[in-house]
Amino acid sequence: MADKNGFFDLSKTALTRRTALKGLAAGAGLGLAPGFVRYSQAQSSAPIKIGFQSHRTGIGAAYGRWYEKTTAAAVKAINAAGGINGRQVEVIIEDDGTDPGRGAEVVGKFATQHKTDIVFGTLFSHVVIGSAPAAGENKMPYFVVSEGHHVASTKLNRYVFQPGITDVKSQIQSMAPWIAANAGKKVTQIFPDFAFGYDHRDYLPPALKAQGGEVIAQIAIPPTESSFTKYFPQIPAETEVIYHVMVGPAVLTFVKELGEFYGSNRPQLFGFIDSLEATDINSPGLEFLDGSHFWEGSPRYAQADDSEAQKAYRTAVGIDDNGAAVGDPKDVSTAAHMFGCWETLYVVKKAMEDAGYKGPEDRAKLVEATEALTAFAEGPEHPQGPKTFNGKIHQCFGIQNISKVEGGKLKVVHKTKIEDGLYEAKGDYTTQAL
Amino acid sequence: MGFLDSTSSLAPPSVLPDISPSRGEIAPSSLLSPINNVAWEEPAAKLPISPLEGEMSGRTEGGAVECRHLPLALLLTVVSLASPTPAFAHASDRGHVLLLPTGYYLVGGAFAVAVSFLVLALLPADSLDRFWRRRLPLFALGDAAHATISLISFAGFAILITAGFFGSRDPLSNPLPLVIWTLLWAGVTLLQGVFGDFWLWLNPWYGAWRLASRLFGTGDDGAWRLPGWVGCWPAVILFFAFAWFELIDPAPDDPARLAWAAGLYWLFSFLAMLAFGYRGWSRSGEFLTVFFSMVARFAVVERNQDGRLALCWPGAKLLAAEPLPASGIAFLLLALSSVSFDGLSKTFFWLGLFGINPLEFPGRTALIGSGTFGLVLTFVLLAAVFLLAVWLGQRLAGSDHTLAQAAGVLVWSIVPIALAYHVAHYLTALLVDGQYALAALSDPFAMGWNLFGTADMQIEAGIVAGADSAWWLWNIQASAIILGHVLAVLVAHGFAWRLHPQPSRAALSQFPLTLLMIAYTVFGLWLLATPTTG
Repeated sequence: MADKNGFFDLSKTALTRRTALKGLAAGAGLGLAPGFVRYSQAQSSAPIKIGFQSHRTGIGAAYGRWYEKTTAAAVKAINAAGGINGRQVEVIIEDDGTDPGRGAEVVGKFATQHKTDIVFGTLFSHVVIGSAPAAGENKMPYFVVSEGHHVASTKLNRYVFQPGITDVKSQIQSMAPWIAANAGKKVTQIFPDFAFGYDHRDYLPPALKAQGGEVIAQIAIPPTESSFTKYFPQIPAETEVIYHVMVGPAVLTFVKELGEFYGSNRPQLFGFIDSLEATDINSPGLEFLDGSHFWEGSPRYAQADDSEAQKAYRTAVGIDDNGAAVGDPKDVSTAAHMFGCWETLYVVKKAMEDAGYKGPEDRAKLVEATEALTAFAEGPEHPQGPKTFNGKIHQCFGIQNISKVEGGKLKVVHKTKIEDGLYEAKGDYTTQAL
Repeated sequence: MGFLDSTSSLAPPSVLPDISPSRGEIAPSSLLSPINNVAWEEPAAKLPISPLEGEMSGRTEGGAVECRHLPLALLLTVVSLASPTPAFAHASDRGHVLLLPTGYYLVGGAFAVAVSFLVLALLPADSLDRFWRRRLPLFALGDAAHATISLISFAGFAILITAGFFGSRDPLSNPLPLVIWTLLWAGVTLLQGVFGDFWLWLNPWYGAWRLASRLFGTGDDGAWRLPGWVGCWPAVILFFAFAWFELIDPAPDDPARLAWAAGLYWLFSFLAMLAFGYRGWSRSGEFLTVFFSMVARFAVVERNQDGRLALCWPGAKLLAAEPLPASGIAFLLLALSSVSFDGLSKTFFWLGLFGINPLEFPGRTALIGSGTFGLVLTFVLLAAVFLLAVWLGQRLAGSDHTLAQAAGVLVWSIVPIALAYHVAHYLTALLVDGQYALAALSDPFAMGWNLFGTADMQIEAGIVAGADSAWWLWNIQASAIILGHVLAVLVAHGFAWRLHPQPSRAALSQFPLTLLMIAYTVFGLWLLATPTTG
């Protein structure tokens, strides 16, 4: 139900989270369950079935919980506004255990057992990469919310899309102009010594060089490291900016030890909020971050100039002004990433409507309709901001936020332009057979 | 206030089991009901543990000591260990714990266990024994509702299995995985350890077995009898399978997969109970009953054969336990080693041994081989070190007892440690997944029902998040680990007096085992303090 401003007013609907997410039980039971008799009528009244490949358990569970909340909120909003092509949307959650092997199995289950229309919602890159072949083999449109560059690299297959969140290569590239102009031109990178860190190691130097800056040192930290003081002497004295993207349980230790190393006289600090996603920025040990800057996909804290769409989105998902769960202030959300679930579902809605999608037999049409999309305007369906979409590489490109830690909050001080993050696309999924 | 020594008082004659060499057999033990007793039948069970029957401080013959008041503090302590409250914290939020001075706790924990050993060595033997034999009689509790409650439990189980097949596919919305892993495995274990043998009533087999055995006329003992050498080896094997499924299988939370596993296990056990009798299979093969009844020995509630309940000190019932045969020793050590491995397998240390990047954890599918190896290795190592410690202790004390005899008794001291690990390990799961369970139970088939008004409750994951919660959780967990080991030293000490009535020998015999307890305390605290995935 849209109110007079065109925003969703969920308080006026009777739909609950459960009717959106739990309404569809196991396929095997549908014939027996009395609640589903109504769907045995014409297909037109049957729900659109979305298979949600969810990190319910495993190392991605903290993200998975918020991806689930955001998905539930989006589905509730879509259904309240009439669904997709007049059909209600129902989500079947299968847990992938944040496990690539299990992820591929789950995609297979969605295709053969649940017969969902699409599969959606995967975050962790290795699960996306592990599951993509199964999506291709089953000709199952697979909409991920991962931010990895793997989709845009065109190394996956034609059925894999990432239309709701900008990929990490673009994110990193779009940080360079601001860093060079505002933080400093001589940058030392500290990153974990594996794929996540390598994206930053590889994509930042050329982008920074194009802006007249330079990466003067790259310090790779072994993933199992839990004490960092011994690495800090490797930071060149002339460093103006420390660009850090540490992840894992030792992040707080890293920041604390960095603070002890530098004291009050430190270079500028720039990081990606991935390091502290779902972690209170005011945790003990993080005091040293005061005054430093972070990339945020979507701002964790409510901003003074938030759009009505952003406000409506935050209300619908249930996060307060500090980015924590309403009524549970210690449950900090994964705000920088989870908006991608909301926006991806609206892209699916748009593509299904464009394709006149009726059922699994129209999956190829859905792929082509998605590839035909070019831009998403900022608004209730895309509250994070406007985006362009490159149908050849199945990747969207949006604005990014640079936020300063100030008074215990993250305040957005700069929004990048979409153009800052555009790069030359390599490959073209549309040439692959459907 | 306090306990009253009153061996001549109104206390009923003790029915606590003991080993009487002159009888040459093991009396029924005194768990909440005699039905559930595990009377070990391996030859090793017939052990002359007490060299002089007359020195046995009267435990067998009316030694129960009544007390009229149980200190409130004890109750509160025990209850607080099991009650989820918002004060507890987040285990997987390991980053906050890494900033805590955990090293001091490791040293302090080791010190506390060592000091307990020294203090106990100096105490007169009978003072401790008298203390532990104190009982506060409560009321009688009959067996009348046993079958009915078990049948209700069975009906609930059947509904859960149905939900597993036909309900939501989401393991946090489907009640089956939440009930099995969180409420049963994490929760009931703690309740058993604190309050006694609930499982006796709750288990979903007894009622159905009674109906079926009457119907088919198979009788109470079934058609066949398991030979004595079988002991509880079937339960050891089944517990290993259970631990493997929980810790190694790629998707133990998958509702349908779990429904198959749990449903087939129920059926298998049911048929085995018809074949070998309910009691026969419960003490030999049904691993949950074997585990829960062992854990219940630590509880503060005791029920005698007349159905009378009494309060006792935690672990006091252990001292009355019969010696375990080899299979029982293996079972208890496996119970502890499997929980230990669960903790170990998530550490950066363990993953590093296999060249696995913990920050890019490849998922359970990729770790089946190393996980299976680790599960077996942890058991073998723990068993080897435990037996070595017992053997050394017997050597130091110049004991005549065989290794099997001594180990069969001393292994009971593992129970408080296993419980402590359980508390430390599953606390956060109980606090958060317990909420999911409450919500899921209101709508078991994902039909939009709200049976108990909890279906739409907000899941407050924040109760285990953040630095404050991490501090609380760490302290609760560390306390549980240290307390568990101190109690283990206490229990082992009590048994040592039975094995070696001479004080100096008893103390000497405990020295190696105490070193093991100290090492395991440090290991347990380290598992909670070291970087882990997830």
